[in-house]
Amino acid sequence: MTQRVTGQRFRQRKLSTKQNLPVLRENEVEKLVDDDATRHIPRVETGVEKGEEIEHHLQAIISAQAAGTAPSKAAQLYIPTPDAIASKLQYDDLYPRHFTQPATYIRFSSTVEDCIGTTYCMTSDDVAFLKGYNHKKGKSVQCSEDEFEEVMNFLEETSTTKQPYATVDNAPVLPYEDMEAEFDETIREHSRRFAKPIYEHWKNQRLLIGNRSLIPALKFETNLETDDADPYVCFRRREVRQVRKTRGRDAQVTEKLKKLRKELEEGRYLMAQVKRREVLIRDQLAQDKLIFQQRSELKEIKRKLSIKGDDEELLINQRPAPKPKPKIDVPAPLRGIPGMGQKAQMARPDGRLLDPDLVSHEEQVAKRSEMIDGFVEENLMKHQKWNVGWIDQTWRPITPPLEQPAAKSNFRPVFTSAQLPTPPASVSSEEAAAEQMDVDQENKQVVPRRSARFRYASPPDDVPFQEQARFRRRTGRGGRFMVDRRGLKRQKLESIDERVADRFRYADDSSEDDGVTDVDHTDTLHIRYRIMIDRQGEKQHAQAAAQNRRSVENHNRSASGHLLPPSQAG
Amino acid sequence: MAPRENSHEPSGTPVPVETGFATLATLRVGTKAFVEKDGEKRKAEILHMRSRRGKPSFYVHYEDFNKRLDEWIDADRIDLSREVEWPAPEKPEKKKSAPSQKNQAPSKSDQKNLKRSRSKAEREASGTPDSTSVNLPGKAQRPSKAAGKENKEILVTSELPDGSTPKLEDDDIDMVDVQDAAAAAKSLPNEVYSREDEIEKLRTSGSMTQNQTEISRVRNLDKIQMGKFEIEPWYFSPYPTEFVDSDMVYICEFCLGYYGDVTPFERHRSKCTLLHPPGNEIYRDDYVSFFEIDGRRQRTWCRNLCLLSKLFLDHKTLYYDVDPFLFYCMATRDEHGCHFVGYFSKEKESAEGYNVACILTLPQYQRRGFGKLLIDFSYLLSKREGKLGSPEKPLSDLGLLGYRAYWQEMIVDILVDGRVEANIEDVGAALAMTTNDVLHTLQNLNMLRYSGKGHCIVLTDAVLEQRERQKEKEKKKGKRSIEPDKLIWKPPIFSAASRTWNW
Repeated sequence: MTQRVTGQRFRQRKLSTKQNLPVLRENEVEKLVDDDATRHIPRVETGVEKGEEIEHHLQAIISAQAAGTAPSKAAQLYIPTPDAIASKLQYDDLYPRHFTQPATYIRFSSTVEDCIGTTYCMTSDDVAFLKGYNHKKGKSVQCSEDEFEEVMNFLEETSTTKQPYATVDNAPVLPYEDMEAEFDETIREHSRRFAKPIYEHWKNQRLLIGNRSLIPALKFETNLETDDADPYVCFRRREVRQVRKTRGRDAQVTEKLKKLRKELEEGRYLMAQVKRREVLIRDQLAQDKLIFQQRSELKEIKRKLSIKGDDEELLINQRPAPKPKPKIDVPAPLRGIPGMGQKAQMARPDGRLLDPDLVSHEEQVAKRSEMIDGFVEENLMKHQKWNVGWIDQTWRPITPPLEQPAAKSNFRPVFTSAQLPTPPASVSSEEAAAEQMDVDQENKQVVPRRSARFRYASPPDDVPFQEQARFRRRTGRGGRFMVDRRGLKRQKLESIDERVADRFRYADDSSEDDGVTDVDHTDTLHIRYRIMIDRQGEKQHAQAAAQNRRSVENHNRSASGHLLPPSQAG
Repeated sequence: MAPRENSHEPSGTPVPVETGFATLATLRVGTKAFVEKDGEKRKAEILHMRSRRGKPSFYVHYEDFNKRLDEWIDADRIDLSREVEWPAPEKPEKKKSAPSQKNQAPSKSDQKNLKRSRSKAEREASGTPDSTSVNLPGKAQRPSKAAGKENKEILVTSELPDGSTPKLEDDDIDMVDVQDAAAAAKSLPNEVYSREDEIEKLRTSGSMTQNQTEISRVRNLDKIQMGKFEIEPWYFSPYPTEFVDSDMVYICEFCLGYYGDVTPFERHRSKCTLLHPPGNEIYRDDYVSFFEIDGRRQRTWCRNLCLLSKLFLDHKTLYYDVDPFLFYCMATRDEHGCHFVGYFSKEKESAEGYNVACILTLPQYQRRGFGKLLIDFSYLLSKREGKLGSPEKPLSDLGLLGYRAYWQEMIVDILVDGRVEANIEDVGAALAMTTNDVLHTLQNLNMLRYSGKGHCIVLTDAVLEQRERQKEKEKKKGKRSIEPDKLIWKPPIFSAASRTWNW
């Protein structure tokens, strides 16, 4: 019943579905003795087929509902249906507990074919055949169930493609040779071994049922006249809606196809290239492995024949550009000292290797500083030798770390006077220095780097050693303890400060500008100033600040030499 | 495939008989006799006969009872002391088959003839007794020009090697009968469609329901095994013809694949990796999940689903393929996977505004409230789409009751909130129900009345009482419902291309 018809009938009865109707309780409506008025509303059809509407069980329930039967009785009324009972099959064996529910909603697009493996499933006849077959064969040529099914499936599919109408025209079963010719990737090498005996079995099974498919299949349309009347023929294709043919449409379709084709080709090309790349990589890896193995063999041989020689060159892949080694001028004994080698700048900033013939400025500088370092090192060693068995009590020992540690650790610095104006930066001093250097990159590499060994005994960078308070404990004659102190700072200034501070302790609450200098936080000068304080002694403040200012003012000038404290962290 | 046998020429012109006494030997298909059922004698029509080891059995349909109660009975349940109604004689392929006799007359012809013969049958419902045919056991049907018969072929092919002529031994050979008489007798004249009309209707509208003429009236599977259950099918379903011989057809709970024997089924289970309906989960609460599956993309699964549901849906047709439908599948979850409980299918584009084509809760899960969830979900989708929806007709008996209960609950819930007036269209819009369905429900509950001034909606005592009972029950058992905010879904849009290339 369509909407239109209903509407019509109701318009006649003046019942409008668009109008608001009063909602009433039963006791609010006067009992209509005459139900004539109710009859003005036409019955709406149930939607159940007429023939079935009169069915006994349905009618029983409908009339029970209409009569408002007591709940207990109405509940017992239902439409009986055939049974569903618990199965005897072992559910847990058939359906293992494999499912874990993902946190998000499942998204899934694999088809049934993707999920069921080989379509063919062994029947009990197959099981018996396979058992007999495997029984006859040795352990090494046992055919597994999977292999069996694979072959059977192949035979079935090939037969379907080659003889699509075998059932209709009573075609003979395909001979084995035809099958063999069709072997493709759907049947794996090791399954093919069994193809022949399984074929015989398959043929027998096919013959038993008149060369029909062994897999029970649905009946699809065969375009025979019988199709329409056969209730087993199902899932027919729906006719394609005919599209009106126009030239424009043809062109459009052609274009679309061309485009699709092109895109497919491109995709294919991409995939081919990727494959090529991966194959090359694989080859390369194989080559590398081969080289490695042969080298290790060579090593073995060399060892066996006790040939001494430059193993490094044989056993290690040489880099294309060998390191320019600045060993020419360096005295031989220094070579082996660890930490000695100056890291030469091997690559340009863009990562390319330098031309080995090109003599770069950096190299020259490095060479020179290395020479100096080497010279110092040499003297240092000499000095050490002199000092063997002695304690160097001179004011500033040349070789503090190499001497007895006690000599140094006896003095313990106390950092009372060097209050940092700000908490120490989290960056290392070197990084800080590098940042500072960024202003003028050109000079970065030029700054002579000094080996850490030279600075080891030097006072910390940020405090001039004269200003550092240091203590030393000594054992004097007769077991006396003596404490030497040096550079102890008087607290006078600070206590004054304290008093001054105290004076304002309760006064600064309201006035923020009281005793506070205006600071421009964007001013880098201020920051640089602070850094300077960190790095240099208070005595040098004025000078450093002046220098700093100058350098900032003319930061294009190569001023970093001045900016940096003499002992830069390395 | 079925042997065509034209050797049995009719030995006489059948004369119609209306009633008469029958013997076991003279019973034939189409005869209506009284049969004992649950202690009562009921009129039943013989749809099919067969003989196993010399004992005949009859497939009968009880008049005025649903087809799902049709069954095989032994001869002793037929009351031969009462007169039987003989089938209308114009049926060309009337053949009586006694156990000692086996006749086959498969005939294929177009449905036009069936229609013609049927209407003739209707007209001549009160023919004269056909004494000749009764007395001639060897009589066979004419090689008819009529009657597309539906069930015959199966039985023949399943029993006999292809192309061979049926042998005369009766043992273990199913008797093959023609059911068109039965089919004709059942349909009322005013709803006879021509087959062409019907197919055209199917093709153009995409309807999944089918007309009587399509129906194969004898159940072809004895039993199916699925998940933890063994289920008796209710209706015919076009599973592979081989399965007619199987005692049990095994259906994989996840891929819904079908197997005629336990061995291949177990092999399949060892390989099948599917653990849930193969689509996107669009709804999940702590009780059920819904999956949306496109018939076009998951053709195999949806075909399997349709075959399965056809076992329980009389009016479903599998005439055309599953492409134009979306399937919304409800599943419960545990460690084994998502167990398919029920589903409804929906046309991608419904010209008639249907929001459900077929709807089914599997029998093993029926009478547990799942049907209401399915219906509720179908309306939730319609609300999301901003459309009014209605289930495709015809409804089955169970479908009608399910929908009526749902409609009643929803509509009464809206009306009972204290409002003093209501507008039928607004109520429909709020529930995504068509005006007609609202009207139908109100009317069926006798809530639409006419008092002096005009029409009004009456919340009857019965309706209110039932609502109370429902609330009571929900309080006790807990209420299961669909929570709209757990639906993650946008109405799918199908491009013109996907429709043009549709087959």
